[in-house]
Formats: sequence, C-alpha cells, structure tokens
Amino acid sequence: MVSIARKNLFEDIPRFLVAQAGIMLAVTLVTIQTGVLKGFSLSTGLLIDQSQADIWVGSKDMVHLELTKPILYEQYIQAQQVEGVAMAEPLMLGPGFWSSQNGELTPLKLFGFNSEGKLFVPGKITTGNVKDLKQPLSIIADQSSLDSLKLQKINDVGQLRSLPAKLVGITRDTQSIAASTFIFTSLENANVYVNSGLTSKVNCTVENNDFNCTTTFEKKPEKNKNSESEMPIIEPLTATDPITYVLVKAKPGQDLEQLKQRLEKALPNTKAYTTPEMAQKTRDYWTKRTGVGFILGMGATVGVVVGMVVVGQILYTSVSDHLKEFGTLKAMGASNKVIYGVILEQAVWMAVLGYIPGMLLCVGLSHWALQTQGIMILITPITAGGVLGLTVLMCVGSALFAIQKVTSVDPAIVFKA
Amino acid sequence: MINKIVDFPSRATFSSMKSAKNLNVAIAARGVEMVFSSGAGSYHALKNINLDIRKGDIQLLMGPSGSGKTTLLSILAGILTPTAGSVSLLGKEITNLSKQKLAEFRLKNIGFIFQGFNLFPALTAIENIELALNLQGIKGKKAKEESYFLLSQVGLASKAHSLPRDLSGGQKQRVAIARSLTGHPPLIMADEPTAALDSHSGHAVTELLRKLAKEEGCTVLMVTHDPRIVDVADRIVYLEDGVLVDS
Repeated sequence: MVSIARKNLFEDIPRFLVAQAGIMLAVTLVTIQTGVLKGFSLSTGLLIDQSQADIWVGSKDMVHLELTKPILYEQYIQAQQVEGVAMAEPLMLGPGFWSSQNGELTPLKLFGFNSEGKLFVPGKITTGNVKDLKQPLSIIADQSSLDSLKLQKINDVGQLRSLPAKLVGITRDTQSIAASTFIFTSLENANVYVNSGLTSKVNCTVENNDFNCTTTFEKKPEKNKNSESEMPIIEPLTATDPITYVLVKAKPGQDLEQLKQRLEKALPNTKAYTTPEMAQKTRDYWTKRTGVGFILGMGATVGVVVGMVVVGQILYTSVSDHLKEFGTLKAMGASNKVIYGVILEQAVWMAVLGYIPGMLLCVGLSHWALQTQGIMILITPITAGGVLGLTVLMCVGSALFAIQKVTSVDPAIVFKA
Repeated sequence: MINKIVDFPSRATFSSMKSAKNLNVAIAARGVEMVFSSGAGSYHALKNINLDIRKGDIQLLMGPSGSGKTTLLSILAGILTPTAGSVSLLGKEITNLSKQKLAEFRLKNIGFIFQGFNLFPALTAIENIELALNLQGIKGKKAKEESYFLLSQVGLASKAHSLPRDLSGGQKQRVAIARSLTGHPPLIMADEPTAALDSHSGHAVTELLRKLAKEEGCTVLMVTHDPRIVDVADRIVYLEDGVLVDS
C-alpha cells in the first residue's frame, strides 16, 4: 500500500528534522539517565566483580564495600586454617587525601592488597606491573583519575597523606562513580599510608556464651620512622594490624554456604558473603539507600514523559495539518482501521528515525564520558533494545491522542474548499 | 437551456423505494430533513427534500450560497445522516446503515470530486490514484497499471510522477477525477468541480464528466454555481433556504 504516513513525514523536511530532534532528545535523555543509573550501579561493585575470590569476609557491621569496620590481620591468618579454604588474602581499605605537586587536595580511597596474590584484581593494568607495588610507597591509579591527581606518566610522584607516592602502574575499569578516587598499593604500603602512627588493642569478653571483641586503635609513639630520611619503615603486617576484608578462595567442590558459616564461626564478629552477594549488597546500598537510584530513575521517567509530550505534540500537529486528508480518506470509504494504521505507522517511523541518531549520540557520549571523566554510562544491548521498545511505545502512545482528533473528524469537511 | 428538464419538488412524499427501483433511479431521497443543533439553538438546513436521480444522468444541484447544497450532497453521499427521511442509493436504503457499512458502501459505489481537489500533497499523481485502489484491495503491480491507465484516460500520463504542487488547477482536478474512477463506481458525487478552474480547464473537466456519464454509464450528481456545466446536464434542481424550488 502507498505509505501516506511515510510520505507525509518527509513532505516537509525542516519540520521533520525538528520533530526528529525532539524524539532524539527524548531518546538521549532516557538512555543517558538509565545508562548513568546502570553505570553507577555497576561501578560501585566493579572491584568486587573482578575479584577472583569466592567469599569476602568483613566486619559483621559492614554496610557496603567502603563503609565497614576494620578486622584484624590475625583473622586473615585464621581464615587460612578454616576447612575448605584453598587460599585467603587480606585486603585493606583506608581513607586518604592526595596532594598534587601544586598543593591541590583530592580525597581518595586506598586499597592495599597482596601484590603477589591472585584474589584481588585492581582492574585492567594498561601500563606498568602489579609486582612493581613491592617498591616502597608506590601506587597504581586508574587512568580516569590521572587528571585529578595531576599525574601524567609512570614514576610521577605526588603526596598521599604526608608521604610521597610514586606512580608505578596505570589501570582502568575500577573507579566507582559514587566514591572518591581509588588508589591501589601493596598491603604493606597501605598499612603505612593508612595506619602510620596507629596501634591496635583488642579486648574480648564472654557474655551469655557470646565471644565479643572490641578493637581499639591508638596513636603510636614516633618510633617507627627512619630517623635519617624521615621515611617510615615498610614492614610486614602483624596480627594486631587492622585490615578490612579477607578474600577467600574455596577448595573445589566446596559448598559456599557451609564454608561461609565455618568462616563466621572461626572469625568472631565477622560476616561472610559470596562475591555476588557482596556486590549486590554494595549496589543495593548505593541505588536504594542513598536515593541516587531514585533520582536517576526519576530522570529517566522525566525523559519518557518529555518524550511523550514532544512526540504527542508533533503527531497531534501533524494530524491537525492533514485533517482534511484524513477526512478525504474517510469520505472515500477508508475504514477507521486504515486511518489509525496511517497514524500509527507515522508514529513508528518517527520512533525509529528518532531512535537511531539518539542512540548513536548516546554511545558516543558514553565513550567520551568514560574516557575523559571516568563516568560509566552503561548502554547494554538490553538497554538499547529496551529504549527502542520504549520509544516505539512512547510514540504509539502519543499517537492515541492524535487518533482521538481523527476519530472526531466530520467527513463532511471534505466539501469545504 | 430549452432541452433541460427541471425537477420540481415532489408533493408525493415517501413513495416507496420499490417504486424508485422500478423507475431506474440511482439516487432517491424521501422526506429528508436536516437540523443542525448548537448551544445557541438549531438551524433547519434541509426541509422535506424529495428527489429522484436517474441512472446515467448528469444531475446538477444549484442554488445560492448557504442554501444547503453541500449538506444535501453529503447526505446523498452517505457522509452525513439526515435528521429525518431516507436515502436510497442504487436501490439500497443507506440511512440506517452503520458508519462502517456506509464507509464500505461509499468505497465500492461512490467516486468523489471536490472543489479543492483534496489530493494528498505528499503523494504523486499516480500514488494518489494508487492509494484509492489500495483502499479497494487492489495492490502492487495491478494497482500501478490501473493507476497509469486512469491517468492516461484523463490525459495526464506524462504527469504521473508529479506532486500536486507541480500541477495546475485543471491538472489536479483531472487527477482527482481519475482517482474518483477507481473501482468503476456507478455514482460520482462532485462538489463545485470547476469552481477553482479557469475557463479552459473548466471546459476540459466538464467534458470529462460528460464522458463519464454517457460512455461509462455513471450517474453524476454535481453541486455547482458554474453556468458552463449547465450545457452538459440532463437535469437541474434548485435549492433555496433548504427547500427544492422551481427554477
């Protein structure tokens, strides 16, 4: 059948382009908002997803990856002895701030891990080597953070807290949008950066058959510094040093639920999570408890509403402009089905032709945002397909308003010159 | 004008549709009334219209502006439903048909020609005709061939791929006439078909309509102010203030 819908659409090119720009804007708004929400959610658990551990053991008060209480290094040692554990590695998280050479401060989160280990993976190393972290006071940074840290290349130096920090590697795909800048170093370096000048004390009591321990961290006397260079001495951690997590690899064939229970029993005041559980807990916190998910979700909803208004307005105007043509079709004997088909076909054309450039723009924007800002706008095939469906739905929904207008048209208008 | 027959309003109202069939009548109206109501009041547009139009005739409907010609044409074409009375087309009572049935009836039996041409501006001449054929279920190559044939009939084969905006008024109306012929409808309803045309184009269109009636056997009902058409008409009725009157 001659496509009057398509022909009408292309009859007035400037107006068509304005209309398509409106739909493209709506598509972009929805895609970016949902992409930011998904990217945000994904980024908060990236390091957990990338780890090779089966189980993460942390404080029983842990809220999410970065919000938790410390546990003792001793518990890492104990974890290795638990039945079913093939391998365990300590992970230390600590706050800090970065002073660039021009004195600019940047808040950061420091991850200290076993640079010869296998369970914690600090992203995808693009330059340098994880083993270089064995050097004292050396760090790896995410490439998306280099600008804010004022670092450009390997061996550039900045200041982490009050100590120097040399860049020995560059990584990517680690940074959480929700967190301050991530910096990776060895466990020993992290201990110096985070806990320099602190010592811990553990008090344990038994109440109602429950074994309760409290760890207290106190300022150390200034004896741990190399007097000649004023540089701290890098030492292996001791049983009383605080760490944040114990990453556990189970022996093959282990039931992870049972192993979690054994670990929690062997390590008082801790709770064990499988890696997916840990990632989900962290993501749930950011998307549900902080309101960020709500805000971004609301943005996506606004995108849909704006899109519907834009498309509705465009279609309604188009139908109004061609009302006499619809009247002519009616007079000639075209059924309502045919007339609705014309409007719906026009809506689908508008949806598809607005979607394609809109989605291309979003893909370009997401690459740009990741490369330059370190912000992940996640556009998966499912998201892209979903937005296409939503755009078609949005356009068809809007077409229903236009159909109302045509339904009420008096075919006798055809006789008015 | 001497050889024209002027129909007077029939006093013998509500004669049966059966008798209309017997008289070889294509269009019959009995006691047709049309009242338009609005918040301010009501307007009696047509009063007790009784009319028979014979098959194959060119019937003119004339009268001053606002006399109700277009309203009557709309009712006789099954586009408007009268407030009272009945209309029979080709022996079929249409007044009580549902909107869907009426649309189907129009599609199969009536070709329309409008004063403003009412071509689809985004479609070429041939596509305008093809669309009408598509509505009648004729599609693809057959529809293209038929469209081209109809355009040739009105002398516009060379303009097949021109958009309406690139055609003159006369050419547009010829395309509209070609479109009205799709499916070979027995009835043609034309509303001021020459009003927007110059003398030459008006004459060409008039000639086409005459051929339609005399060579194709169509019944043509035409609303017009144009005295040029009177020469080709078989019958003329006059409408004034909603009433059929003497000429």
